[in-house]
Amino acid sequence: MTRFTRAMIVLRAFWQLNWLEELQYRGNFVASLLGTIFWLVMAMLTVSLFFRHTPQLGGWGYWDVVVLLGIFNALAGVVETVLRPGIGHLPTDVRSGALDLVLVRPVDAQFYVSFRRLDVWRLADVMLGLAVSGYAFVQTGRAISAWELLAFAVTFAVAIAVVYAIWVTLMSLAFWFVAVENMAALFDAVFEAARYPVSAYPGALRFLFVYLIPIAWTTTIPASALTGRLNPALATWAAAVGVAALGASRVLWRVALKRYTSAGG
Amino acid sequence: MHLSPMPSAIVATELSKTYDVKVRDPGIKGALAALARPRYRQVRAVDNVSFSIERGDAVAFLGPNGAGKTTTLKMLTGLLFPTAGKAQVAGYDPWSGGNPFRQRIAFVLGNKQQLLWDLPPEETFRLNRAIYGVSLADYTTRRAELVELLLLGDLIDKPVRQLSLGERMKCELAAALLHQPEVLFLDEPTLGLDLEAQQTIRTFLGEYRRRHGATILLTSHYMADVTALASRVLIINRGRLLYDGELSELVARIAPIKRIELVLSETVSRARLEEYGTVAHYAPPRATLEVPRETATAASTRLLTDLDVADLSIQDPPIEEVIRIAFGETEQDAEEDTVRTDVQRAPP
Amino acid sequence: MSPASSRTPFATFRDQYAELMRSAFLVDLQYRASIAIWLIWGVTEPIISLGIWWSIAAGGAVDGYTREDFARYFFGVALVNQATLSWDAWNIDRWIREGEMNHRLTRPIAPIHEAIADNVAYKTPTATIILTMWIIASLFWPAVRIPFEPGRWSLAIIAIVLAAAIRFLNGYATGLLAFWTTRATALVELQFGLSLFLSGRIAPLSLLPPRVAHVAEYLWFPYVLSFPVEILTGAVTTSEQYLRGFAGQAIWLAIWLALYLVVWTRGRRHYGAVGG
Repeated sequence: MTRFTRAMIVLRAFWQLNWLEELQYRGNFVASLLGTIFWLVMAMLTVSLFFRHTPQLGGWGYWDVVVLLGIFNALAGVVETVLRPGIGHLPTDVRSGALDLVLVRPVDAQFYVSFRRLDVWRLADVMLGLAVSGYAFVQTGRAISAWELLAFAVTFAVAIAVVYAIWVTLMSLAFWFVAVENMAALFDAVFEAARYPVSAYPGALRFLFVYLIPIAWTTTIPASALTGRLNPALATWAAAVGVAALGASRVLWRVALKRYTSAGG
Repeated sequence: MHLSPMPSAIVATELSKTYDVKVRDPGIKGALAALARPRYRQVRAVDNVSFSIERGDAVAFLGPNGAGKTTTLKMLTGLLFPTAGKAQVAGYDPWSGGNPFRQRIAFVLGNKQQLLWDLPPEETFRLNRAIYGVSLADYTTRRAELVELLLLGDLIDKPVRQLSLGERMKCELAAALLHQPEVLFLDEPTLGLDLEAQQTIRTFLGEYRRRHGATILLTSHYMADVTALASRVLIINRGRLLYDGELSELVARIAPIKRIELVLSETVSRARLEEYGTVAHYAPPRATLEVPRETATAASTRLLTDLDVADLSIQDPPIEEVIRIAFGETEQDAEEDTVRTDVQRAPP
Repeated sequence: MSPASSRTPFATFRDQYAELMRSAFLVDLQYRASIAIWLIWGVTEPIISLGIWWSIAAGGAVDGYTREDFARYFFGVALVNQATLSWDAWNIDRWIREGEMNHRLTRPIAPIHEAIADNVAYKTPTATIILTMWIIASLFWPAVRIPFEPGRWSLAIIAIVLAAAIRFLNGYATGLLAFWTTRATALVELQFGLSLFLSGRIAPLSLLPPRVAHVAEYLWFPYVLSFPVEILTGAVTTSEQYLRGFAGQAIWLAIWLALYLVVWTRGRRHYGAVGG
C-alpha cells in the first residue's frame, strides 16, 4: 500500500464520521447559508457604492469586480470548509498537547492536520461564490475560450494553494508563539484586501499584496482569467508562485515540527 | 411556625421546581412537527422538598447525579426561583434578596470556577475584597487565616492555570470566604480531587465552621464527605427528599457495609467467595463482595492470604446503592417520577 | 458580621471598579500578543477602504472628498472604531452557555459592571496605541494631520465616550438575548454588517445614496461612529450639526439603556425559570 492510499483510507474514515456528526447540525446549515448570503449582499452593495462614484476600479468594470467577488467568496468557503476546522485548530492542539496524538499516527502530520475535518455545510459558500462569478461573467457579455476556462481552473487551484500555504505558514508560527491564539484573525484581516482587484490599490499596498503577503494571486489572477486580462506569461508565473508558496510553507512546517518534537512537546 | 430570636439559616418550605422540556420525535419529520407545534413535557427536578437548617450547622445533601441537589442549591442561592414553595436563607428570600442577601452567602461550584484563570489567586482575592466591600484590616486577617487553614502557602502567587485541580479548589474556597458569608453553599466541592486535597478540604470546612459559626450546606455523592463533615444528611433522589436525619441512623438503616472489589488471578467459584461475604457482583476475574463495615479489614486480609488476588480495594457503597438498600427504590420508579405529565401546548 | 460596615456606597463602588479594571487589565497583559493581532484586524478594514477611495479620488474630489479628506476620515474611523467596539455579546453568550453566569449572579454587583470595567481597561490602552500611530503617521504624512483645536477635540472625546456607551449597551443588551436563544451573536453580526454603511465604516455618510443616508439618521448607527469621526475631521462645523449629533447620541443612549434594563430584568427572570 502506498503512503498516499493509506492516507486516503484514513481520511475517508474520518470524513465519514465527520459527516455523520454534521448531519446532527442541519440547523447550522441554514444559519450559515443565511449568513453567507447576507455578507455577499453587503459586499456587492459595497462594490455598488464604489461604482456610484467611479466607472472603474483599477481598470475593472462593475461586473468584472463582481466576478472577482464571487471567487473571493468561493475561496473564503474553502477556508471555512477545510482550513479553519483543520489546520486552523493547530494552535489549540499544540497548547493542549493533542498534537502528540496526531504525531504518532502513521500518516504525514501536515496532511492529516490539514484535512482531518470538513465543515461540509460551508461547501455551499464555495458553490454560491462560483454561482455569483458565473452570473457576473454572463453579465460582462464576454464569450469564454477553452484556454481561458483552463487557465481559470489552473489559477483557481493556484489560489487555493496560496491560501493554504498562508495558513500553513501562520499556523506553523503557533509552535513558536504558543500564547497567540488568534493567528487566524491575522489571515482574516489581510484576506479582506483580496475582495478587490489588486490594481485598485495605491502602489505601496499593491507591492505588499503581490510580493509580501501574496493575496494578489488568490483572487485577482483567476478573475483575470475570466475577464480576459490573463496572458500566458502571467498564468505561468501564477503557477510558479503557487508551487513556491506550497514548497516554502512545507519547509517552514518541517522546521516548526522539528523544533516541537526535539523540545519534547 | 414560631418566632424565635435566632431564625434558622436555611428554611425550605415545600420547594418545587418544574422544567418544561421540549419533546421531539426523531428525524426530520419530528423536527418539523416540533417547530409547528411544540410539545412540552414537564420534568419535576425538585418535588415538594421541605427542611430547615439551624445556624452553624453543617448538612450534607446526598443523591445521585440528576437527583435535584444542584437545582435545590440554585433555588437557595437565588439563581432560580421555585415553581412552588418558599425558601428563606439568612433571613432573606433568595430570589428577591438582592445584594444584602448576596453579601451573606457564598456559592462554590465544584465544576465551575470563579478564579481568574490567567492570574494568581491573589488577584481574585483582591477583586472579591472590593466586590464584597471588605475593609483592608478584615481582609488582611481573613486572608492570613485562610492561607493558614487551607495550607495555601505560595500557591496564591502562581497563575491559576498552573495549579492542580485540588489546589484550585482550595483557592476557590478561600476566595469565596473572604467576605465571611453566614451561609456557605458548596456544590460537589470534592469532585474529582485527589484524596489528600479532599482530606484538606474536609478538615478545613470543619474547622472553619467551628471558628466562625458558618452554616454549611454541601452536596456530594461521596459518603466520605458526609462522615467527615456533617452529622446530618438530606438524601434526595428524583427530586424527592427521601431522608432527613442523623447520619448514624442512616448507617444503622443500611446495615453498614463496605464493598471489597477484587480482581482474581485464579478461578474462584462464586460459592467459595460467599465464605467471605455477600457476593454482590461476580464476573471472573472480577468480583464484588459486601461485608459488614467492622470486619472489612479482616475479610480483606483473609482474602489476600487465601486466594491469588491481583487487586483488592475496599470502598463505601456508591450513593445509588445506599439509596437502593435504604429505601428500596427501583429503576422503574424513576421513569414514573420524573415524567409526570405529557402536555400539549399551543405555540407561544 | 456584615462586611460593608463603615464605608460609603460610593467608596465601595469606586473600589469595585478599580479592582475590576485592574484585573481586566492584568488579564489583557497576558494576552497582549493576541490583542496586537486584533488591533491589526481592526485597522485593516479602514486601510483597505482608504486604499480604494484613494484610487477612486485619483481624478479629483469625490463629492467634495479629496484624497486627503479620505485619509483623515479613515484614520478617524480606525481610532473611533477601536474606542467603541463591543465584543460583549460574545462574552455574555459564553457566560450563559458555559455556566459562567452563575457565580456572577451570586455576587453583590451586577455583571454589567464587570463588562464596563473590561471595556474601559481594554479600550483605553488600545485606542491610545491607535492614536499614537496616527500621531506618528502624521509626522511623515501631512494628509492625515488634523488642526489643533482644543475645543473641537474635547467635544470629539465626549462624542467618542457617548458612542462607546451606546455601542456597549447595544452589544450588551443584544448579547443578553442569549438567555433565550443560542443565536444572539448572529443578531450582533447582522448589525455589524449594516453598520458597514449606516455607521459610515465603508464611506462617509454623504457618499451613500441619499435615501440610505436618510434612513441611517433615524437609527443609532451614525451616532456611534460617523458623528465622532466627523467632529475629528472637521466635517461637523455648525452648532446645529453639533446639537443634532449630541441630541441623537443622548436619545439613543437613553433608548439602549432602557432596552438593556428591560432585557436584563426579563432575561434574569427567564433564566430563573429555566436555568442555564
